[in-house]
Formats: sequence, structure tokens, C-alpha cells
Amino acid sequence: MDAFVRFTNQSQGRDRLFRATQHACMLLRYLLESKAGTEAAIVKLKSLESSVSTGRKWFRLGNVVHAIQATEQSIQVTDLVPRLCLTLANLNRVVYYICDTVLWVKSVGLTSGVNREKWQLRATRHYYYFLLLSLVRDLYEILLQMEQVLQDRAKREKSPQGSPGYNVVSEDTDYLQSFLLLFFRSLRRHPPLLLDTVKNLCDILIPLNQLGIYKSNLGVVGLGGLVSSVAGLITIVYPQLKLKTH
Amino acid sequence: MDAWVRFSAQSQARERLCRAAQYACSLLGHALQRHGASPELQKQIRQLEGHLSLGRKLLRLGNSADALESAKRAVHLSDVVLRFCVTVSHLNRALYFACDNVLWAGKSGLAPRVDQEKWAQRSFRYYLFSLIMNLSRDAYEIRLLMEQETSAYGRRMKVSGVPGGVETGGPGEPGTPGACLPQLALKFRLRVLLLARVLRGHPPLLLDVLRNACDLFIPLDKLGLWRCGPGIVGLCGLISSILSILTLICPWLRLKP
Repeated sequence: MDAFVRFTNQSQGRDRLFRATQHACMLLRYLLESKAGTEAAIVKLKSLESSVSTGRKWFRLGNVVHAIQATEQSIQVTDLVPRLCLTLANLNRVVYYICDTVLWVKSVGLTSGVNREKWQLRATRHYYYFLLLSLVRDLYEILLQMEQVLQDRAKREKSPQGSPGYNVVSEDTDYLQSFLLLFFRSLRRHPPLLLDTVKNLCDILIPLNQLGIYKSNLGVVGLGGLVSSVAGLITIVYPQLKLKTH
Repeated sequence: MDAWVRFSAQSQARERLCRAAQYACSLLGHALQRHGASPELQKQIRQLEGHLSLGRKLLRLGNSADALESAKRAVHLSDVVLRFCVTVSHLNRALYFACDNVLWAGKSGLAPRVDQEKWAQRSFRYYLFSLIMNLSRDAYEIRLLMEQETSAYGRRMKVSGVPGGVETGGPGEPGTPGACLPQLALKFRLRVLLLARVLRGHPPLLLDVLRNACDLFIPLDKLGLWRCGPGIVGLCGLISSILSILTLICPWLRLKP
């Protein structure tokens, strides 16, 4: 229980738990939709989902400052491509949080002159750009890792004791297979990178669906959100699995 | 900026901020009503207060575990009175949070058949017991510190050779009722001065006393034991929320058992 208390003392920990709950409700609703006699359960799941979603806004208030601080930190990254990607991604996150705050002001009734759909669209678009740029950064890091794996393998093959091993790029027909093998091997070597890539890939399904670029169903969005929330929870419980910038 | 990031990373800090905003809205709503503001503005403030109250209930989900952990730790305190007061206070707080979770389930539609009024009364009752235990603990600590001060003062007087003391000296002979009254008044004044001195020398204790005293008005009003009105409730709630935010920003101001 002590670990649970320490975990929930962090706002981010609680927020991830609630997000996981929200998307689990979405997934359950999709699974129960076609079954008979589950109308009452579906209504309850919908109301739980909407109250958790509304409540989570309180965790996001003031996160503009977090995003500005993250932008300042990403400007100081040494490598050019991650620096560019992270800075632009965090700038988009700042705009997303500003739009989110405007939507919150509208939802509590403090102002009536806000066009909800327009601001919702803006927020989703900037969230989408943020995830896209994060994925570009992840891809760059994966390519670096793959290069590292190839270099290590070349070093091992050059050494006299080492066995000749097999050549990664042996034949044209094997190329795709070898590339995928190298890809997964690089990810396995670097768990934080794997976790971050999985999180961003699952997260991007949500704005893709909302913007109409890739319309999926409630089940896909729910599952994607649940997996990314669990990945986020793991990085909070085990901070060493958080992808660090150098 | 870094300070805000660190502060808002604690979920308790966010909840306290929402609490301060909620009671500020309550106070503002009462003030607007008194001065005849537009019903539209009053409705907006009431709506915001409702949103804040519901949001806080979600932010407090899981606080029962925190209170139970604190109660578990308090069982190992050395002083018997402190052990009793602090443990019982935390247990009551855990029950208050459990009732609060039931209220949230009712309001969010998960358990629509929940009797809101009954569970609200229950939760305020546990909250009141917890506050009474806190104030008892504060009173005990104050008494201990006052005894320490008087014995330290007595030792200082003995060392410097001054005859008699605060307690024994005084005009009039024993047995004359007319002369007892000024003596009592003097004794009372000295006690009050000693209390002020003790509280001034221990800011965490002073903060805790003020916070619990302000908080006490809320359940007393909601349970109908002492109806003080929404203005007083709003003001006291706001003051106690600001004081608890202070203890979060400056952890040395928190009263340690």
C-alpha cells in the first residue's frame, strides 16, 4: 500500500491511472456493444468515462508551464535532429495546453463566446503534430541504435577469435527480413526507446481518428489509449525506463 | 516556473488549490448575493463552485489509502495521548474519504441509487470527529509546551536567586474572596501571555491550530450544529486551504508527530 500511496502522490501517476480507466471503459463499451442485455452496464461505463475525462482536466490545468519548461530543456539537447524534433514537439504541446485551457474555461461556464468545435479541432491538431514529431525523434534514435548494432557486429566479425557469423545483408530476398530483425533487435536493446515508441504509436491513433485521417472504431482507440496509459504508468513506476535526452 | 512544476507535481497540492478556489467562489457568491449582483454572474460562480467540488472528489479518489498508511505509522508513536489522537484522527479521515468516494460514485452516475444527503451527512460527521481529534492533539501539545516553559522559567528564577515565583506570589491573604478576583485575572492574563509565547515560538503548531479551528466551522455548519452562514464557511475554508498550501510549499511548517 505504501508504494500505491507514493505513486498516487504524484499528479502524473494519478492522471495516468485515470486515463487508463477512461480508455478501459471505452474498450469495454465497444466489446459489450453487440451483446444483448448490457445496456445498463454500457450507460454506467459511459458516465464513468465522461466523469473521469472531465475530472482529468483538473490535472491538465497549469501544464502549459510544464510544456514551456520542457521546450527550454529541449533547446539544449546536443544532437541536432532530436533537438529540432523535441523543441517543435514541445512548442506544439504548449499550444495544445493553451487550447485545452480555453476549452476548460468554456466547460465550467466562465465564458460563452468560445466556439467549442473550433478550439477542440485546434487542440487535436497540435496534439497530433506533437506525437508525429515525437515519432520522428523515436525513428531517428532507432536508426542510431541499428547503426550501433551493425558497428558492434562488424567489430565482432573483425576480431580473430570471433566466428564469421552471418552477414546481415546477404541476399536481396533476405533484405526485408534482416532489416526487420535488426529493427527489433535494436528496440530490444533499448527498453526506454521501445516503451516511448509504443506509447507514441498507440497515442497517435486517437488524433488520427478524431481528425478523420484514419478513422478507426471505439475499440481501437480504447485499446490504443489503454496500452499507452499503461506504458506511461510503467515509466512513472520505473523512472529508469523513461527515455532520456542527451 | 520550476517551483510551479514541482508544486503541481504533487496531487495533494492541486487538490488544495482547487479547495481554495472552491471556497473563494463560495465567499464571492455570498458577497455578490449580499450586494445584489446580476443573477447571471451568481449562476456562473455557483456553476464553477459545483465543477470544482466534483473535480476535487475525483482528485481525492484513493486518499483513503493515504490516510490508512498515516494511521499505520501513527500507531508506533511513543507518547500515548499523541498515539491515540493521531491514529483515531487518521482513521476518521479514511472513513470520510471512503464516504466521499461513494458520493462521487453517486454524482458521476456509477451508483445512481446512492442517497446523497445521507452519505454527505455521514462524511461530514467523520470529518468533524477527525478535526476534534486534531484539536485535542493540538491542545495536548500546547499544554506540554506551556508546562515546559513554566518549569524552564522556574529553573531560571531559582538560578538567579529571585524569591518566590509566578504561582505563589500575589497580593491579599488566602480566604478573602474580594482579593481573589484580581489574583485570578492576573493568573488568567499570565496564562494567555504564556500561550501566545508558546504559539509564537512554534509556527507549525500555530498553523495547525488555526487550520483546524477554521476547518471546524465547515462540518458544524453542514451538520446544522452551528449555522454560521455561507460567508463564514467560505472565508474559513479559504483561510484553511491557504494555510495548508503554505505547509506544502514550506515543509518545515508542517506539524510532525
